[in-house]
Amino acid sequence: MNTAVLTDIRPTTGDRITKFALGLRGFVIPVLALVAWQLASQQGAVQAYVFVPLDGVFKSLIEHFADGEIPINWLASLGRTASGFAIGGLLGVSLGALMATFRPVDVLVNPIYQAVRQVPLLGYIPLISLWFGNGEPSKLLIISLAAFYPTVLNTYEGLKHIDARHVAVGRIFLASRWQTFRHIVLPGALPSVFTGLMQAVAFTWLSSVGSELFFNPGPGLGNMMANGQAAFRMEVVLLAVIIIGVTGYVTNLIVSKIADRVLRWRNVR
Amino acid sequence: MAFETPSPTAKLSIQSLSKNYVIDQKALRVLLNIDLDVHEGEFVSIVGRSGCGKSTLLRLVSGLENDYSGTIQLDGKVINAPSLDRGMIFQDPSLLPWMTVRENVAFALVNQNIPKAEKDKRVLDLIDLVGLKGFESAYPKELSGGMAQRAAIARALVSQPKVLLLDEPLGALDALTRLRLQNELQRIWLQHRMTMIMVTHDVEEAVYLGDRVVIMDPEPGRIRRIVDVPLPHPRDRASPVLHAIRDEVLKDLTNGVVI
Ligand SMILES: Nc1ncnc2c1ncn2[C@@H]1O[C@H](COP(=O)(O)OP(=O)(O)OP(=O)(O)O)[C@@H](O)[C@H]1O
Ligand SMILES: [Mg+2]
Repeated sequence: MNTAVLTDIRPTTGDRITKFALGLRGFVIPVLALVAWQLASQQGAVQAYVFVPLDGVFKSLIEHFADGEIPINWLASLGRTASGFAIGGLLGVSLGALMATFRPVDVLVNPIYQAVRQVPLLGYIPLISLWFGNGEPSKLLIISLAAFYPTVLNTYEGLKHIDARHVAVGRIFLASRWQTFRHIVLPGALPSVFTGLMQAVAFTWLSSVGSELFFNPGPGLGNMMANGQAAFRMEVVLLAVIIIGVTGYVTNLIVSKIADRVLRWRNVR
Repeated sequence: MAFETPSPTAKLSIQSLSKNYVIDQKALRVLLNIDLDVHEGEFVSIVGRSGCGKSTLLRLVSGLENDYSGTIQLDGKVINAPSLDRGMIFQDPSLLPWMTVRENVAFALVNQNIPKAEKDKRVLDLIDLVGLKGFESAYPKELSGGMAQRAAIARALVSQPKVLLLDEPLGALDALTRLRLQNELQRIWLQHRMTMIMVTHDVEEAVYLGDRVVIMDPEPGRIRRIVDVPLPHPRDRASPVLHAIRDEVLKDLTNGVVI
């Protein structure tokens, strides 16, 4: 009666090497860009100022790693982002869940949420600095908001759009309220919640660096970049940009790998 | 409108059942005055045009829907909520995508106090019975339509219901798989002797499996006629009696429809 037979096709070492080699394709364009950059920097003094020679950038990377400037600023930005993500994400998921579950909360809060969301985060900076000053709390607030918006929305949508057929399955088999939540509502909403969290990761990192540029100085990559610019240290500005980009890329990659793993049942095209 | 006298051994008894849905502030009469008695261990097929309320009827019997007029009773008890003595196979397999085949089948026992070892055994036995051995850890997205449907059959059987409601369980399958699963259903039915009520669009299938075939009319959904299939099981598909009954049902079905 079986319509298909399962054979063992675990990857061999050869398969893994091929996969690794194919994975290197993503580096082709960056490497070409670096070569072009290096060539440009060798065209004269002016060009060397704008396009800092790569060896200069590399030297300053080593130097500022050793003197602590990079680790301190990097960790400061990461820590601030993580705190904002935790605060905003937790509140966002909670509020989204409350709105989806309790109609009065939905009726009372949803309109305010929709209105507040229309103003871009940057638009709140003047207001926030008036109310909370220019220091660390204001930065944390901006970052938390960046995590809050997408998690509220996606948690709400996910919980609101549970497949009625799946709920019927739970009822047919007499699942209790808790079992229905645990086995049907929660997994059903999870893809959407993850979408929110992934957006939150991206937004918090962006707004973390952004908030450092807008509010008072304090350790952070945004601050390092601003200082580099003020001191005409092009290689520091460049370093900061690269570290911000790579860090954002890697965190997004990690989160999407986690999502792929947790949601491995999902039918993605 | 009753086409038969209620029998005292009747297991499922439906009397003057009517059901309305409200669509756009207008009442839509979906079922009107349904009378049907289904005996213990009987196989009843239901045929009728799309939209005539077949799924609605099964949902009412399952207890998923309880806003109706008339009575539906199982062993003399009024039905107004789901219960494990009535199993349901939905029109689409409705497996939970985040559960493996094994977890999906086991989910039917989610709220039952059965020792884990026995649970596991029953689940694996049924997966075996429907021919999904080797696919216990597969997710629904990794199954073909027919395999998903078989998993849904296993899930409906694992709680050992007295009455099994099947809503076009073989609707989405190719002809060959369909024939095989019909035989499979017949075998399960003969073996477990449970009551089965199956909705289908395939008249051949309805006649081949059913002790009786209920023909429904649309707008509002009513029972037009009930046709007896007085042949013992398992049946011979080539039987001339079967073919004659099939032709009669087909004729009756198309009678009310402008083609
Ligand atoms: N939840 C609902 N709300 C409103 N109307 C509904 C609902 N479910 C079904 N209906 C209506 O009830 C009627 C019968 O639907 P039902 O699904 O029972 O038909 P069916 O006989 O199973 O059709 P098919 O053969 O296509 O599956 C349809 O007109 C449909 O529009
Ligand atoms: Mg239907």
